[in-house]
Amino acid sequence: MVNITIDGKEIQVPEGTTVLRAAEQADIHIPTLCDHPALTPFGGCRLCLVDVKGARTLQTSCTLPVTENMVVDTDNERIREARKFVLTLLFSERNHFCPYCQVSGGDCELQNAAYEQDMTHWPLQPNWKTFDVDASHEYFILEQSRCILCRRCVRACSELSGNFTLGVEERGADSSIVADLGVPLGESTCISCGSCVQVCPTGALIDKKSAYLGHDVELEKTETICIGCSLGCGIEVYSRDNHIVRIEGNWDAAVNHGVLCKAGRYEPQDAENWDRVYTPLVRKDGKLKAATWDDAIKAIADQLKKSSKTAAMASTRLPAESLYLFKELFGGKLQASTVTSIEEGLNTKLTSQLAVELGSPFEGDVVEVDKADCVLVLGTDLTEDHQVAGFFIKRNMPHGTKTIMVGCGENAISEISDVVLEPNVKNYGELVQALSAALTDKPYTELAKAAGVCDDAVKEAAQLLAAANFPAIIYGEALLKDASLNTLKALVELGHLSGAIGEQRNALVSVKGKANSMAAAQYGLDQAMELADEQTAFIALGDDCPSQKLIKKLEKAPFLAVQASYSSQLTANADVVLPVTNWAEQEGYYLSADGYLQAAVSSMTAAEGVLSNAAALEKLAAALGYDLDAAGWKDELLKQIPAVVIAE
Amino acid sequence: MNYRSMVLVSGDPRSMERGAKEVYNQFQREINALGLESEVSLSWVQDVGRSDAVPLAVVYPEATIYGPLQPEDVHTIVEEHLYKGRIAPGLQAPVRELSGHIAWISARKGTLPAEQRIILKRAGIIDPTSIEDYIADEGYQALASILTDMQPKDVIDQLKASGLRGRGGAGFPTGLKWQFVASTPGEKKYVICNADESEPGTFKDRVLIEGDPHAIVEAMAIAAFSVGADEGYFYVRGEYRLAQERLRLAIEQAEEMGLLGEDILGSGFNFKLHVHSGAGAYICGEETALIESLEGKRGEPRARPPYPTTNGLWGKPTLVNNVETLANIPPIMLNGADWYRGFGTAKSPGTKVCTILGNVTVTGLIEVPMGITLREIISIYGKGMANGAHFKMAQTGGSSGSVIPSSLQDTPMDFESYMDNGVSLGSGALLICDESNCAIDLAIVLMNFFRKESCGKCNPCRIGTERAYQILKNIAEGVGTMQDLEDLKFLSKNLIELSNCGLGTTAGTPLENILQYFMPEVEAHIKLKVCPTGICPMSGRKAYPETKLAKLEQA
Repeated sequence: MVNITIDGKEIQVPEGTTVLRAAEQADIHIPTLCDHPALTPFGGCRLCLVDVKGARTLQTSCTLPVTENMVVDTDNERIREARKFVLTLLFSERNHFCPYCQVSGGDCELQNAAYEQDMTHWPLQPNWKTFDVDASHEYFILEQSRCILCRRCVRACSELSGNFTLGVEERGADSSIVADLGVPLGESTCISCGSCVQVCPTGALIDKKSAYLGHDVELEKTETICIGCSLGCGIEVYSRDNHIVRIEGNWDAAVNHGVLCKAGRYEPQDAENWDRVYTPLVRKDGKLKAATWDDAIKAIADQLKKSSKTAAMASTRLPAESLYLFKELFGGKLQASTVTSIEEGLNTKLTSQLAVELGSPFEGDVVEVDKADCVLVLGTDLTEDHQVAGFFIKRNMPHGTKTIMVGCGENAISEISDVVLEPNVKNYGELVQALSAALTDKPYTELAKAAGVCDDAVKEAAQLLAAANFPAIIYGEALLKDASLNTLKALVELGHLSGAIGEQRNALVSVKGKANSMAAAQYGLDQAMELADEQTAFIALGDDCPSQKLIKKLEKAPFLAVQASYSSQLTANADVVLPVTNWAEQEGYYLSADGYLQAAVSSMTAAEGVLSNAAALEKLAAALGYDLDAAGWKDELLKQIPAVVIAE
Repeated sequence: MNYRSMVLVSGDPRSMERGAKEVYNQFQREINALGLESEVSLSWVQDVGRSDAVPLAVVYPEATIYGPLQPEDVHTIVEEHLYKGRIAPGLQAPVRELSGHIAWISARKGTLPAEQRIILKRAGIIDPTSIEDYIADEGYQALASILTDMQPKDVIDQLKASGLRGRGGAGFPTGLKWQFVASTPGEKKYVICNADESEPGTFKDRVLIEGDPHAIVEAMAIAAFSVGADEGYFYVRGEYRLAQERLRLAIEQAEEMGLLGEDILGSGFNFKLHVHSGAGAYICGEETALIESLEGKRGEPRARPPYPTTNGLWGKPTLVNNVETLANIPPIMLNGADWYRGFGTAKSPGTKVCTILGNVTVTGLIEVPMGITLREIISIYGKGMANGAHFKMAQTGGSSGSVIPSSLQDTPMDFESYMDNGVSLGSGALLICDESNCAIDLAIVLMNFFRKESCGKCNPCRIGTERAYQILKNIAEGVGTMQDLEDLKFLSKNLIELSNCGLGTTAGTPLENILQYFMPEVEAHIKLKVCPTGICPMSGRKAYPETKLAKLEQA
């Protein structure tokens, strides 16, 4: 610990802390612009200047590490003058005519900093230069006139998302933020994760959708989780008048630490334009017609009572409570012939089986991927799904993290990976065994041949794994699709051999489809569904998007009931449709891929007549004469040995 | 040195355009024809400051310049000069005052009084492409004796005793810097030679590397041994192709002889050297920007502290020294600190290599003892002001120095005396201006350089230099106001105070100097709307803000 005095306050902070962070701990406010807690210090804006006793010039507190017995003054005449000078220059550099800017009036850090320094005007002439506006991107605008070149966006793009799209071109006063080598943002390699927009201190990067919809103080903020995939990233939903204005990553979230992908930040907003189902619909004379809840529930109940065989499927986007009720109703009470999830256990069935067989969880925390110095990715394209896990890999590659991509297809990560292997889809097992054999100096050529990969590449991959101090293995759908339990066992063995699974850490992780796939697996909703002579199909779709495969499969069902938030081909084919809440309107628990049980909080109010998934299921149960209670959901969730330790 | 004569053919782009290659080939053929190849060496030389007579050949030891040459002239030179030993009539370059390299030769003959040569001792004399030449002239002796007899601590102590200060511009005590790196714990350390010499008018490092590359290689090895590094980089300005080639060759030769590489001279000391080419950014001469650039990033200075001595290249302790600083190391180690202190002043010992340019009779490169005055340099080395004009001001150290008024021309040129007078020595270029030059115009030129070369990272420098340039431009157009001067003072004071790196802090210096020493002239621009030298356009139209109409007119 280091002793330091800031504005007369004596405090102790760990070695390596910057003066700015030390001041924050002492509740002393230092104005900043280019600084952001999630990004590496930059020291460009010079607003955070402080007076250090003994130093000739003022020092930038954001970059200055504390030293023993340092005495710092954060506010005196000299500092105030310097800060005013810095702000004067910034205001005079580009077009900072506040009344025309959407963040003006509270959300602009530049304007706030000026108010804080009691500035009423700036004494230099404006520059009167014109700058470009880049509105080519689907979701946001880059307005160079309002840019203060703090490089937060550039740093976010590389340090948080690992995408390296944004950079700076030219020098001096000609410097400007540029995408790739100077192409419009909309044509660049941008993946629309939006981290740059979230960190921009001014109105230089603004959301197209949320612009001019209100200042932060006028918006309601709800902290919840994203249910776009099985990672369970923390998000903050900003809403106004029951509409989503924008979604931001939650900096305090355990998984993502503020980072989001397009699926988390922008796609839920796109869904607001989809066609909602607001009233129950019942097919009469071949046409779907609006009905009351009682009629609709009655229609389903009557059908269920008379049908001898029923197939029931639930989306893995539903909260755990709803999945539990679903399982209790169709599995427990109705004893339906098929009770499963619409994923049919693709991502979870084998892992659950192995956990039961091993008698203990065998997977670790996804965050280990972020800490790894060598990552083996098997059978999942992390630039398409579970993108935040992909960010963990990409952003560490410049720091020397090695990557081995197995069966991930051509994507932005495999393009720059150290080793890329494309085994036959059915032979992941052999490949994993070949890697293990190469690691232990056993013959691996035959195994590599069986897997359909070059043995030199296997050797190289094994060498990378052997050289790593903190290797991590992450696998997904493509591996599990045709895999047997033996493949997974081989993978666990590889985990032990490579050191990914050790006493201190477990860095064997898998991504598991949708937000609640793990919960569905714990409830046993993971059988395959083959419609044979079933007379009734009940699909608890929630706000999920039905796949073409599912729609096709259910076409031959004599009676189809769907509870859904949005109209789709599936609801159009249905005999009864029950309107239910979407992700933003409902609440409930989600079990992430690495075992975090997290609560989703509702940020919107559902329209009248739209019930939650759980309420709809309870209503149906009541109509069938059962008294269902969701209280046992958690005990049931923990009953079976899970693939990964469940933590709350 | 086995050769009795040396022929240098100019290989700068201008000479190449005019057929220097054919001239060189012809020399080769003629020398071979007369069987002189073991007596006469032939090699390329870069610009020697006589662009009026290119392509040219300089023949040593007489230092005769022949040019402009056609291939057919070569026969006469070889036969008359190299074979018969008399100067070939009619082919000599038109008589002009000596400049560039040639000035040193007269100095060696003792015609110039204050000449003290330590680091330019070999440049232009030995064959820079031959390690044998270097070794014959005391080369690698310092390294050998250090590796066999001395401990790193002894080397640093001797360096501290010598009082050597960094020649890159800031004048930081070199021994102290070495000690910082040496005392930082760490398995891996680096040494970097900063040869990204980009100050306008400065070319001392180029001549040092091109003329005596092994001296720098040897100094790097000594530095690495002393601080505990095993890997080093030369960061050479991209335009210095010949310097890069010579360094690569020197490293290759030294490696072949076991003076670089593994277990050097059986001492167990390993050292590997790389040559890295810059890509045309002035800012990469700043040591932390240089390190960023070496790491493959955009060349922008880092925030300090931490300093490179503890967190340098790839986060490892790193020693960064200028070429000229390093060139001082082998002589100091060979002759001792006391010998070195015999040159220059008490607090700034040693010599300084300067380039003289501007309105003097002779321009070129000189090595002078620290503490010499500007008046001496102009009258002795510059052979007086050109055309008998009066000295008005000098600009030291390329752009990063100060503007020196005539009142300071008798101030000794050493770090302390200059600092006491609020000016700086800079990197070693001396731009001498006579009274036909306008102070505002000079300030505009300098500020234009800074605004173009500012990296854009920190606000004071990025915006301050641009705004100062705009204000100066308006003054030069005769539309300045006295408020503009207040703004300039406001800008320069804060530039110096608040910038992140040396570029920003020095950008304010010339502004302050001009406002301090040339106020009457500046006021004439504003109050009388007159440029006393008639250089500024004084159109009465604002140059800034750039209106659309003004842009159209320009087009």
